[in-house]
Amino acid sequence: MINLADLEAAIRNALPVSHLEIQDQSSGCGESYAIVLVSEAFEGKGTLARHRFVNDLLKDQIAQMHAFSQKTFTPKQYQDLVAKQG
Amino acid sequence: MLSPNHHEVSSPSHFQQLLSADLDRVSVLNFWADWAEPCKQMNAVTLELAKKYPSVLFLQIEAEAQSDISESFDIESVPSIILLQGHTLLQRISGADAPAITAAVAKFTSVSSANPQSRTDLPPATAVANPSEDLESRMTRLMNQSKVVLFMKGSPDAPRCGFSRRICGLLQDQKVKFTHFDILSDESLRQGLKKRNDWPTFPQLIINGEFVGGLDIVQEMVENGEFSEALAP
Repeated sequence: MINLADLEAAIRNALPVSHLEIQDQSSGCGESYAIVLVSEAFEGKGTLARHRFVNDLLKDQIAQMHAFSQKTFTPKQYQDLVAKQG
Repeated sequence: MLSPNHHEVSSPSHFQQLLSADLDRVSVLNFWADWAEPCKQMNAVTLELAKKYPSVLFLQIEAEAQSDISESFDIESVPSIILLQGHTLLQRISGADAPAITAAVAKFTSVSSANPQSRTDLPPATAVANPSEDLESRMTRLMNQSKVVLFMKGSPDAPRCGFSRRICGLLQDQKVKFTHFDILSDESLRQGLKKRNDWPTFPQLIINGEFVGGLDIVQEMVENGEFSEALAP
């Protein structure tokens, strides 16, 4: 298990972050996390490439969890998403 | 109506309580899900076996609702049956194999010798695939068997895990024609694909012979428009 603050610190250390949401899906047990990550580092990378990139940067942290899921956006994509949701 | 030795497990503490009531007896753990058709058969089989073997504990465990218990037994697909004596693992049965569970319960509750219900002198059937085809070529052939190929647990009509079920639903919603391969039927292929595609889990979606992603990635691609691009002729 890994605590949320440590996970957040690891993410912010690993790549430029414009927006980040972390949800502990194991009811506070730190075993399963879902993240929304917005970063300019994703520009020009397809979805699979982004996921592999994050999996690699956070592999020590992910190794401490049972499950991990991610949604990734570039700053522009995220802006468009927020505008659509009103 | 469940017999007194047959219970639906409601929580990890309920589970522990039932097991520890008698640590010498054999228990049969039936991991099931209401969306998996083969579970209906196994549920009916355990119901009958519970009546026949009152000294054995039969536990129905809804795999997704009781995910902590499922995880502690490394349950990857439903139906799965675990036989325990106290906390000792006696046997694992994966899939709706009624003869296997019946034989296992009989084996562990009696000392009498086995009475085979069928006999054959025929040699075992040989695999259909060309024996000189190596794993790499086989994986390449399967990944290219159609434009869109899904390596999953079970089949679209009978998925054996929640993620496999959901990705089939997603492909059907997107009106994508695809063929599938059940990786539970072939262990060397299952491990080979994990290495080949550098991806640790299933389901794995292949488009035009290339690995695209698992459920999360495909979902994201549908949302950001990449999926229709990947499918373009």
